Amino acid sequence: MNDNIRVNWQKLLLRILLYFVVAVICVVILYPYFVMLCTALKSRAEIFSINGTVLPLNALWSNFVDIWKKAPMAQYMLNSIIIAGGSTAIAMVCGIPAAYALARMKFKGQTAFLGFIIVSQMFAPVVLLIGIYKVMQVMNLTNSLLGLIFINAAFNQAFTIWLLRGTFMSISAEMEQAATIDGCNRIQAMMKILLPVAAPGIVTTLIFIFINAWNEYTVALCLISTDTIKPLTVGINIFNGYNMIEWQYLFAASIFAIIPVVILFMSIEKNLTAGLTAGGVKG
Amino acid sequence: MKKNSPKKAPKNSLARTIEPYIWIAPSVILMAIFIVIPIGYVFYMSVSEISKAGLVKGFAGLENFSKVLGSSKFSLVLKNTVVWTIMVVVLSTVLGFILALLLNNKFKGRKIARAIVVFPWATTLVIQASAWKFIIDTDYGALNTLLKSLGIIGANVNWTPTPEAFFAWEIACGIFVTIPFVCFTALSGLQSIDSSYYEAATVDGATYFQQLFNITLPLVKPSLTVATVLNIIYVFNSFPIVWTITKGDPASRTDTLVTYLYKLAFYNGKQGEAAAVSVIGFLILLVCASVYMVSTLKKGDE
Amino acid sequence: MKKLIALLLALVMVLGLVACGSGNETPATDAPVSDAGNETPATDAPAASGEKVEVTMIAAQYGTQTADWWANFVSEFNAANENINLVVDVVSWNDIYTVVNTRIANGEAPDLLNIDVFADYQADGLLLPASEWVSEETYAKFYPAFLEQSVVDDVVWAVPDLASARALYYNVDILNEVGVEVPTTWDELTDVCQKIYDYYGGEVYPWGVDMTTDEGQACFAYYIWNNGGDFTDAEGNWTLNSAENVEAIEYIIGLVNAGLTNSDPANETRYDNQDMFGAGKVAMMIGPNSIPTYCSVGGYDVNYAVASIPVNGDNASVSAGVMDRIMCFDNGYTDEELAAVTAVVDAFYDDEPYSEWVLMEDFLPATSAGGEAMAAANPESAAWIEIVGSAKFYPTAKAEWADVKQGVIDVLQQALLGEDVQTLLDDLQAEIAG
Repeated sequence: MNDNIRVNWQKLLLRILLYFVVAVICVVILYPYFVMLCTALKSRAEIFSINGTVLPLNALWSNFVDIWKKAPMAQYMLNSIIIAGGSTAIAMVCGIPAAYALARMKFKGQTAFLGFIIVSQMFAPVVLLIGIYKVMQVMNLTNSLLGLIFINAAFNQAFTIWLLRGTFMSISAEMEQAATIDGCNRIQAMMKILLPVAAPGIVTTLIFIFINAWNEYTVALCLISTDTIKPLTVGINIFNGYNMIEWQYLFAASIFAIIPVVILFMSIEKNLTAGLTAGGVKG
Repeated sequence: MKKNSPKKAPKNSLARTIEPYIWIAPSVILMAIFIVIPIGYVFYMSVSEISKAGLVKGFAGLENFSKVLGSSKFSLVLKNTVVWTIMVVVLSTVLGFILALLLNNKFKGRKIARAIVVFPWATTLVIQASAWKFIIDTDYGALNTLLKSLGIIGANVNWTPTPEAFFAWEIACGIFVTIPFVCFTALSGLQSIDSSYYEAATVDGATYFQQLFNITLPLVKPSLTVATVLNIIYVFNSFPIVWTITKGDPASRTDTLVTYLYKLAFYNGKQGEAAAVSVIGFLILLVCASVYMVSTLKKGDE
Repeated sequence: MKKLIALLLALVMVLGLVACGSGNETPATDAPVSDAGNETPATDAPAASGEKVEVTMIAAQYGTQTADWWANFVSEFNAANENINLVVDVVSWNDIYTVVNTRIANGEAPDLLNIDVFADYQADGLLLPASEWVSEETYAKFYPAFLEQSVVDDVVWAVPDLASARALYYNVDILNEVGVEVPTTWDELTDVCQKIYDYYGGEVYPWGVDMTTDEGQACFAYYIWNNGGDFTDAEGNWTLNSAENVEAIEYIIGLVNAGLTNSDPANETRYDNQDMFGAGKVAMMIGPNSIPTYCSVGGYDVNYAVASIPVNGDNASVSAGVMDRIMCFDNGYTDEELAAVTAVVDAFYDDEPYSEWVLMEDFLPATSAGGEAMAAANPESAAWIEIVGSAKFYPTAKAEWADVKQGVIDVLQQALLGEDVQTLLDDLQAEIAG
C-alpha cells in the first residue's frame, strides 16, 4: 500500500516538474517574440526612450495595419509561400526516391553518393552567389521564382536524403517485400507501405525544407530584382532605409511572417506521432 | 526472418543494376546543376586574380591563399570559428535532445508547446538576431528594462562590456535558433521507437536513466548523428547572427570565417581572397567529415 | 499521410503553373538589353519593328519613400518616351554592393547605377566618361566642386546625385542645465564633456561616437581633418600616419577611455547615437544635415541646435561631406541606346522632379537649381548648402580607398582595445603605400 502511494506521489511530482520545465522553456523561447511584439507596438521615440517600459504605454496597433499599406505585404507573402512550397515539393520529389534507393538497394558508389551530398553543403550560400547567378543566367532563370525554387530544393537535398534514409532504414523491409509478391511494383510498395510508416521523418523533413526556404535571404536578394516577385525576407527591406531603420514595421512584418509557418506546422504536427502506432509494424 | 528477398529476379540483371541510379538521378541532377557548378566556380575564383569590381583578370596560382594565410587576422578568425562551431553545436545538441525527450512525453498542451518550439526556427535569422540585439543593448535594451521594472537591478547593466562577452551572446543566440532543428530531428527518431522496448525494460525493473542510455540513445543515434554532422556544417557557415549583432567588430574579435570573407569580398573588393578563405573553410570541414565518414558510416553499413 | 502526399502533388502542380506564369511574364523585365559579356539581344536592332530600347538602372534606397518615388518616375518617364523602357531596381544600402558586384561579375552590369563609389568600376574600364552620356545642359547644372570628386586622369566619370554634410549637434537643454557653452575646441570639448558627466553622474553620455564597420571612417575623418591632418597630401600620396593624425586619434580614443562617450563606440552606429541623442541620452554628437527629419519623423521632442565641429587649437573647422553618384556602365551602346540613357539622366535632373527628390530624401542637392529650390523651401538649408560647398570629402577617387576605409576602422577598434595608435597607423601606412 505504502509503496503504491509513494509511486503515485513520485509520478505526480514528476508530472509537475515536467509542466514546470516545459513552461519555463516556452517562456524563454517566447521572450524575444514578446520583445518584438512590444517594439512593434511602440513609436520610435518610445522604443529608444531612456526610461522605457516593458509594455508599450500606448499600443500602436496601427503599425500592424500600416505595413500592409506601405509595402505589398500580401504579394511578398504569396511569393514566399510559392517559393517555400515549391522548394519543398521538388526537394521531396527528388529526395524521397534517392533516400529510398540508398536505404533499400545496394549499388556501386553508394558511399560516394552519401559523401557527395555532405560535401555539397560545405560552402555558405554567400560564397556561391556569383556561381549561382551564372547558372541562372545560362538557364534564363534570373529574376524568376522558379530559379529560387530550384536553388532552395537543391540546398535542402542533403538533409532530406540523410534523414529519410535513416528513417527508411529503421523500418523493416518485410511489408514492402510482401506487397511486392502480392503484385505491387516498387513505387506502389513505397508509396502505400513505406511512406505512411515513415511519416514522422517525412513531416520533419517537410518542415525543415519549408522553413529553410521561407527564411532564405541571400540568394533571393541577388536573383530577384522585380519588386512584385520578391519574397517576404527581401521585400521587408523597404523598412530598412539608409536614413532610418523602422524597427516597429520590421518587427510587425516579421510577426506576420511566422503565422504561415506555424499554421503549416500545426496542421501536420499530428503526423509526428504517427510512428508510435506504426511502430508495431516492425518485426 | 529474412527469407524471400534473394534469388527472386535473376532475369533482368541489367535493369537491376541500373535501377538504383534512376532512383537517385533527379537528386543528383538537381544538386549537380545548382550546387556543384557554383562550387566549381568558387575554386576557379580562388586561383584567379580578380579586380575590385569583380572581373577575373587572370590566373593567380596560390597567391590568394598565401595572402589569406599571411594575414594577421586569419588565425584569430579561425579560432573564433572553431569556438563558435563547437559551442553552438554541442550545447544545442544536448539541450535540443533534452527538449525532445520532454516533448516526447504525453501531456496536455503538448501540441502548443511543440508549436512554440518551432518559433525560433520560423523567423528569419536577421530579424531574430536584431531582436536579440534589442534585448541585450545597454541603453535601451529590453532585458535591462525588464529587470529594472521587476526591481532586480537598479541601473542599466552593460551586458556586453568586452568583445568576448559579445561573442558569448552571439553563441547564445546561435544555440537558441539551432535547438528547434535538433529537437525535431531527435523527436522524429524518438517517435519511431517501439514502445514495447520500454514496456519490457520497465518489467525488468530498469530505471529511467538505464532506459535512456540503453534503449533511447542507441536508437536515436542515427538521426541525431545526421543532424549533428549537418549542424556542424550549417553552424560553421552561419552568417546572419554575427553579421547583424556585431559585424565582427571590434577589430575582427567576433568575426567568423564567413563574416570575414564577406567583408573581404564586398567591402574590400577582394573576391579572390574571399574565395580562398571559403576553400580553406571547405577543406577544414572536409577533414572533419571524412573522420566521421570513416568511423560512423563504415560501421553502420556493415 | 494520404493528405500529405496529396498536398505534395498539389504543390507540384502549382509549381508547374508558376513556372509557366513566370515564363510568360519575365522576359519583359528579365532580358538585359545590352550585356557587356554576351552578344547583344534583339533590342539592338529596334528600328524596323519599333521595339523599345531598354535602359536598366540600379538605384540605392535612401528612405522608405525611395522605391515609390522611382516607381512613379519610371511610369511617367515611360509614358512620355514611347520608344524607351526604363527599368529601375531599388536596392537597400545594406545589400547594394553584394547585388552590384554579383551582376558585374556575371557581365550584367546595369546601364545606370546610383551608388557612392566609382573608382573600382572605373579602374576596370567599365564606365563611360560623363561627357558621353550627360547632355551639356544637364552637365552645366552641377556644382563644379562636386564634379571634381569624380575625376580620374582628368576625366569626369560620374555625376553627383546628392550630398550631405556633417556638423555638431547639441542638446540645448542639457548644456543649459549643466551651465556650459558650446565647445569650439578640443580642450573645451573635454571640459564640457567632463562637466556633463559629473552633473548627471554618468546617466547622460556627453559625446556620441561611432567607430563601427558601418561608418568608422567618418569618425577618423572628423578628428584628423580638424587637427590639420588628412588622408593624403596635396600630391595625393597617402599620409595616414602623420603626426597630426596620430594626435587626433589619440585624442578621441582618450575621450572614450575617460568614459565621456557612449559606452560601446565599436558597436554603436551613428543611428544608435542619433536615437540616443533624440532620447536625450547623448548630449552632443557629430551628425548629418538629416538629423532634424530624423528627430521629427521619429517623434523625438529634443531641443537641439547646430554648431561647427570642434577643432584642435586654432585649426579651421572642417565639415565632412559625403557624396553619392550616378554612373553609366559601358555596355556597348548603339547611338540610339546612348540617347535613351541621356534622356533618362536629363529627366532625372530636370529641376522639378530632382528638387522634389532631394527634398524628399532630405539630402543636399548637387545642382544649383536644386540648391535654389531647397533654399526656398527651407531657409535653414541655405547654410547647409554653404557648408557642403566647403566640406572635405573622402578620397574616393583613389583606388586604395576601400582598403584605407576598412583599415582606419580597424585602427580605431584596435586602439579601443588598447593598442598603440602610432604603431597601428605606421602599419596601415606601410600596408597601403609601401
